[in-house]
Amino acid sequence: MIRLTLSQMRRSAGRLAAAGVAIVIGTAFVAITLIAGNVITSTTYDSIAAQFKGADLVVADAPAGEATVDAVRGTDGVASADPMTMSYQQLEHGGRTIYQGVLAKPTNLDVLPLEIVDGALPDASGEIALPVDVAERLDVAPGDETDLVRGAFEEGTDGTEPTWTEVREQVVVSGTLDDPYGAYAMLGGAAVAPAADVADWEADMVAPGEETSAMPATVLATLDDGADLEQVRTAVEDAVTTTAQAEEADASMLEVVTPDEHAERVAAETTGGENVVFVTFVLVFAAIALLVAALVIANTFQVLVAQRTRTLALLRCVGADKSQLRRSVLVEASIVGLLSSVVGLVLGSGLAQAALAVGRNMDLGVPLPSAIEVTPVVVIAPLVAGTLVTLVAALSPARAATRVAPLAALRPAESPTAARGAGRVRLVLSLLVTVVGLALLGAGVALSVVAEEPTTGLLVALAGGAFSFVGILVGAVFWLPKVVALAGRVVGGSGPTARLAAANTLRNPRRTAATSTALLIGVTLVAMMSTAAASARVTMDSELDARYPVDVVVATDLDSGPAGAPPVTDGLAGTVAGLDGVATVVEVPVTSGDVSVPGGDDATLPVRAVAPADADAVLRSTEMVEPLAAGTVVVPEELSEVYGITDGDALTITGADGTLEGTAAVTDLVDDGFLVVPDDLARLDAAAPTTQLWVGLDNPADAVAVVPSVQDAVADTESPAQVMGAAVERATFQQVIDTALAIVVGLLAVAVVIALIGVTNTLSLSVIERRRESATLRAIGLSRGQLRGMLAVEGLLIALVGAVLGVLLGLVYGWAGAASALGWAGEPVFVVPWADLAAMLGVAAVAGLVASVVPARAAVRTSPVEALAAE
Amino acid sequence: MDTTVFVPMPDDAPAGDDGHRPAVTPAVRARALTKTYGRGEAQVRALDGVDVDFATGRFTAIMGPSGSGKSTLMHLLAGLDSATSGQSFIGSTEVTGLNDKALTALRRDRVGFVFQQFNLLPMFTAAQNITLPVELAGGTADQQWFGTLVDTLGLSKRLEHRPSELSGGQQQRVAIARALIAQPDVVFADEPTGNLDSRSGAEVLSFLRRSVRELGRTIIMVTHDPAAAAYADRVVLIADGKIAGDITDPTPESALAGLDALRTVAAR
Repeated sequence: MIRLTLSQMRRSAGRLAAAGVAIVIGTAFVAITLIAGNVITSTTYDSIAAQFKGADLVVADAPAGEATVDAVRGTDGVASADPMTMSYQQLEHGGRTIYQGVLAKPTNLDVLPLEIVDGALPDASGEIALPVDVAERLDVAPGDETDLVRGAFEEGTDGTEPTWTEVREQVVVSGTLDDPYGAYAMLGGAAVAPAADVADWEADMVAPGEETSAMPATVLATLDDGADLEQVRTAVEDAVTTTAQAEEADASMLEVVTPDEHAERVAAETTGGENVVFVTFVLVFAAIALLVAALVIANTFQVLVAQRTRTLALLRCVGADKSQLRRSVLVEASIVGLLSSVVGLVLGSGLAQAALAVGRNMDLGVPLPSAIEVTPVVVIAPLVAGTLVTLVAALSPARAATRVAPLAALRPAESPTAARGAGRVRLVLSLLVTVVGLALLGAGVALSVVAEEPTTGLLVALAGGAFSFVGILVGAVFWLPKVVALAGRVVGGSGPTARLAAANTLRNPRRTAATSTALLIGVTLVAMMSTAAASARVTMDSELDARYPVDVVVATDLDSGPAGAPPVTDGLAGTVAGLDGVATVVEVPVTSGDVSVPGGDDATLPVRAVAPADADAVLRSTEMVEPLAAGTVVVPEELSEVYGITDGDALTITGADGTLEGTAAVTDLVDDGFLVVPDDLARLDAAAPTTQLWVGLDNPADAVAVVPSVQDAVADTESPAQVMGAAVERATFQQVIDTALAIVVGLLAVAVVIALIGVTNTLSLSVIERRRESATLRAIGLSRGQLRGMLAVEGLLIALVGAVLGVLLGLVYGWAGAASALGWAGEPVFVVPWADLAAMLGVAAVAGLVASVVPARAAVRTSPVEALAAE
Repeated sequence: MDTTVFVPMPDDAPAGDDGHRPAVTPAVRARALTKTYGRGEAQVRALDGVDVDFATGRFTAIMGPSGSGKSTLMHLLAGLDSATSGQSFIGSTEVTGLNDKALTALRRDRVGFVFQQFNLLPMFTAAQNITLPVELAGGTADQQWFGTLVDTLGLSKRLEHRPSELSGGQQQRVAIARALIAQPDVVFADEPTGNLDSRSGAEVLSFLRRSVRELGRTIIMVTHDPAAAAYADRVVLIADGKIAGDITDPTPESALAGLDALRTVAAR
């Protein structure tokens, strides 16, 4: 029997290979995912190991404080001991700000995995060595000064509470650093400052009277020459524990390990964390791809069994029993599955290796391993998954093979007819699951929007969505052919070729349904993500508009407040307005005003002025300045709460030159002062200086490029102004959504590609089995062009029906998803991402046409003589 | 378009001298028609310089044993396959030498086919199957002619049925109607009764004869069955790729005798 199976496989090799491609792609996907997971783990390991390069022992999770370090240092056999301390500080130079981790310079430089490129390591207090790229971005060289802005608690002068203030210090760049082992690549590099400075900064951040940092310390130790590692390890452990007990500190987590052990431990923690999340996340998409592949495989085997009806019947006639036939099909499926999985595994590993090679050359800032790590899981999981999926997909065709009656061998050869319709049980079940799922989906949306229970709502909606989708897919065999029939009637009107094509798609409703369903899955998910992202983006936009009304603010009064702030340098407004990507620049003058509220506290607050027309031009959300007019004082909501101002209150503001009586209008404006029209401000202070420029960009998405050029322009004037690029944050938010969408769509695209292979496969199989029919049509006058056209329309019908239904379903799911996820944030906005959807339909249409090319070539080669040939 | 080549008629086909037949001119001709397969040692001459005329408005049977070349002759005459050398004509159109496009148009407009396996399209009804050739040409069926055909072939009650709902004889009658719907110059029938029981076969053959006698069509039928050949007006015998005999107004007996004679020749 196995020889027969093999010979049958040889005869159908081409068809099986086409189906195998689906599995190849699916398993390659799984393999790449698992390999990527390994790369993340080993990259983590390498970078952690690099951080402890040069140390002989790592004292981890030890009680913080000098006592611990001293205890390690005092242990016999220990040559040096340095705490590994990193402090995050803000560096500013020429209008650019970088938030940078700064390492304390160790006493033993062997344990510092960084190398000097230029200059030297910092020696004296007030010196700092910067990573090369940070120095470049700040535009400083060794010997230059840069600002270091840090937070510190300041002792109250006369016994008042200590206050949190910002300290701006000048530090001298002593040198630039390279990170050859990538030890801090994942942390954005590390600067180095004298240990005493770093200790001071850290100490300043602790409120007086509070315990010093509770973070456990890590101490790097080196050993004397000839000291025994194990002995010293025990001694260090004892010393630290004893010290901790004396200090009444907690040393229960203490571990004294080698750098390798430490890296392994940390990497294992990572592996249990983000790594698993990543791998699980991507494997979900691999599973979707494999599900689609299963549909393609099931379809192929269904057709193969149908085409072999005569052979199978003959086998039954000569004595093969049902189980032998079933086994034959399953053995065939196993062989196809295993071979395809092996190819997929090799392909996936090759692609991953190639990606690594490219990644290493691109200098991503993260040191990547040179070769992929092939663990047993990487090999076994794709092979098992691929083979199992193929086998399971072949179960139903195998059952069909057993149903072939021996009598079929004696009947005249007809082209195989369709499998009978699916059972009533399936119909009821799919209907039930769909209805329950839709109900849950609705309930989830309602929970989120009406009851404002977004977490529960989203979960319920998710379950409902999954349920109803499964129901719809299971029931596809019932309703999809009807849709195809409808679409066929529409195109059938255009001529006999189209009518032939439409009739062809209906002769095997199951096959057409399965092919379209495969595509439907991918398209639905892509459309859903794209709709949800578009809806989320609109909802987020209004939220962002409110939070970041001005794209970019250039201000001189941020640190000092309006009183005594220098005005913005003359001509800067014009320079900024001339930059590429800048749409409008509004000069905003400010003065300090004493405000008295009837029945409230008096306060001194900044009062800024902007003309209503300018405000409309520059603000993203004009709602917040709508009341702005002469005699009106726009009060930010936050201030109104602090000072007890309510909408409509009569406010009296006294400035240097006079008094302004105005009506309070509380809005969503986010600012530190009041907003009035310029004429009103002039009454308060005729010479109010312009301390802020409000800059509107042509397109806030370009902020990442435009804001640095604004920073450069400001830096060139050497004015003390700061640049706040809120638009950068806005762009970052949008980029996060776009990137997430792009990744998800990219992952789902694999499923769509497999489904499109399925369309080609189905058409090819149909062409093979309709050989005689094609020949007949050619004999009675169908031209080659018409034959090609017929197959093209068939491909189009199958692909477009799947795609159109997928897009519609995706819209519904996307809206439901956006509503349940963001419904609490306000009225859910339903957006139709026309461009994305049109692109999807376009891709499906082109793919449907392309899918028909290869089968059509085979079909037109069929000579009309074959119509006359007896089987 | 169709290349029209004037070829002088060789000794004209026998003039219609018996009273019940109209005067005939050849509908299909072959001149030195040759088809070989393979090369060198393995070369097979399936058709070896055949000269033959088929009269318009006649029902002619091509008969011969298996492998005699009768099917090959029909394929070449109908433009389904290309000749190695020689010429064949339908009317005044030289079929040998037409490109695929012209051949397709020729088959669609001027030739009808009836196959042994019926070859109806399973997804279309009988009526749709019948009118398909006309629709492929971008036209609509002549309703009167359609009605005549359907009545003659006794299909009026079966028009909305699909092939799977029809008996073999009914399917073959639908196929005959499909072959005749475009009023072709000639209909080629390849073993039209090969898949039918003898009663249905006799019925189909009578219909073929009626369509010649009553509807004025020209039919060339390939068969190896003397009983079927007896329905024709004339039998052309073929053996080893050559014309081996010609029987006018055959009876089952005379056809069988002719066939037997061929077998004896082949055996000798």
